Amino acid sequence: MAVLVGAAVDAEAHSEKLLPHLLSQTVVLTRRLLIRSARNPMTLVHALLLPVAFLLTLKVVFGDSITSITGQNALYRSVPLVALVATMSGATTGVVGINAERLDGFLARLWALPIHRAAGLLSRLAAETIRLLGTTLVILGAGIILGFRFHRGVAGALLWVAVPVIFGVAFAALATTAALYWPKAVLVEAMQPVIILGATFCTGFVPLERYPDWVQPLVRYQPMSPAVDAMRGLSVGGPVLWPMISALVWCAGIFAACLWPIMVGYRRASTSR
Amino acid sequence: MTALTATRPAPSGVQQWWVLTTRLIAPTLRNGEVAVGVAVSVAATASLYIPLNRLMDGPDLKMSSYAQYLVPLIVLQAIAFASISTAFRAATDSVQGINRRFQSLPIAPLTPLVARITASVYRCVIGLVVALVCGYVIGFRFHRGPVYVAAFCLLVLLTGLALAFLADTVGTNSRNPAATAQWLLLPQLIFGFLSVGIQPLQRFPGWIQPIVHNQPISRLVYAMQALAGDTADGVAPVTWSVIGPALAWVVGVIALTLPWAIAVYRRRT
Repeated sequence: MAVLVGAAVDAEAHSEKLLPHLLSQTVVLTRRLLIRSARNPMTLVHALLLPVAFLLTLKVVFGDSITSITGQNALYRSVPLVALVATMSGATTGVVGINAERLDGFLARLWALPIHRAAGLLSRLAAETIRLLGTTLVILGAGIILGFRFHRGVAGALLWVAVPVIFGVAFAALATTAALYWPKAVLVEAMQPVIILGATFCTGFVPLERYPDWVQPLVRYQPMSPAVDAMRGLSVGGPVLWPMISALVWCAGIFAACLWPIMVGYRRASTSR
Repeated sequence: MTALTATRPAPSGVQQWWVLTTRLIAPTLRNGEVAVGVAVSVAATASLYIPLNRLMDGPDLKMSSYAQYLVPLIVLQAIAFASISTAFRAATDSVQGINRRFQSLPIAPLTPLVARITASVYRCVIGLVVALVCGYVIGFRFHRGPVYVAAFCLLVLLTGLALAFLADTVGTNSRNPAATAQWLLLPQLIFGFLSVGIQPLQRFPGWIQPIVHNQPISRLVYAMQALAGDTADGVAPVTWSVIGPALAWVVGVIALTLPWAIAVYRRRT
């Protein structure tokens, strides 16, 4: 009996509800996710090969025409665009991960362990943020080699890097919601048209006034365009405040709308097969 | 002993091919594969034509409209998406071990491969039809009569066949279906955009023009633009010097990948 009481006290001391435990558990689970993605060959494709190939292609094919139309190096549009696209295509791969772990029972196993309920989702958020930061820096590096420069100082550069990360987190929230409620392999393919349309109906692809008049409002107000415009303002100069505010409002709105469905869906994915 | 030999089944190869083909085709309507394929084609058309129309239109296009210029590339993109699905299916079959299972059954060794290629041609037909419908909507027309329409479609399906062999072999060789499908986006992006299907040769930077001019997709685009014809006279006439290189690329790819596909598929796993 004494042993049992001791065990109970011990269990009390190791309650998973304490904040320090949440932090340490989140760190462990984040490292797990990061190690997994570092060892996955797909990560290399998504973080390095596809975006850099896309950037080079945009430069070779459209660079000259767009530079001559706008009088501004086309890289100040295409580097932000590619950074945003890379965060989106990376998020779709992460989505495959959460569904695989649901199917092989790993989520259920985590649910049965004395871990803070929030640690699973928080670690995904943390790992995604770190991955997004890495991808953005790689693309920025490729851009700088091609001739992209910051003209608005260090603060501008730091804010520039933050935009794709914030955007990526919002898109990952959207993709995770879709995956939790529609767990099919075809989901990744179904995301592709969304990414393609988002990227091509965006001021980072072609200047706004070159789109047909009827589609211009759509192009101007979809979430990627303000993000690209803000990043262009932060690097080469131009309006920053309004594009930045609309981009942030979009991202915050998407994130807030997805938060509750994700929590419910994650619980469901963890407790049923 | 005699009983054993008497009950050995003598299955019909054609019937087996049909069963294995429907195994691949029947679920595509239910699991959303066809719907996604149609959506991808429509999205590809919209995402190339609408943003680029004003940017690309100009006298040096030498054609009546950018739609007439662009549709061959849209059709080829649809074919490429179809072959990526083929690679995905082949990789799935290979990873899940059903190829090994087939090898242990009384099925002719190449029947499953032929069935997958048939399913791929089916996907190409869907892609071609959807792309042509999209093209018609944006203003693309055939100007040379039914024989040339047939030749256009035949050239596209032959290209689809070549890509199907290539994709199937790459897929069967791979360990990870999703990764293979993503890898294959890379050649599609590079060959598609760095081709004369998107803008005339002289608009590319000078140093890359020889590559753009001679790569297979450009050669196919030249041939398809010629076969479709145009009201303006900027398009090349249908001659062997236009069609020949395209056909040579397609036949060459098939001739090289067919033995490779057979070798990979017959290898005991």
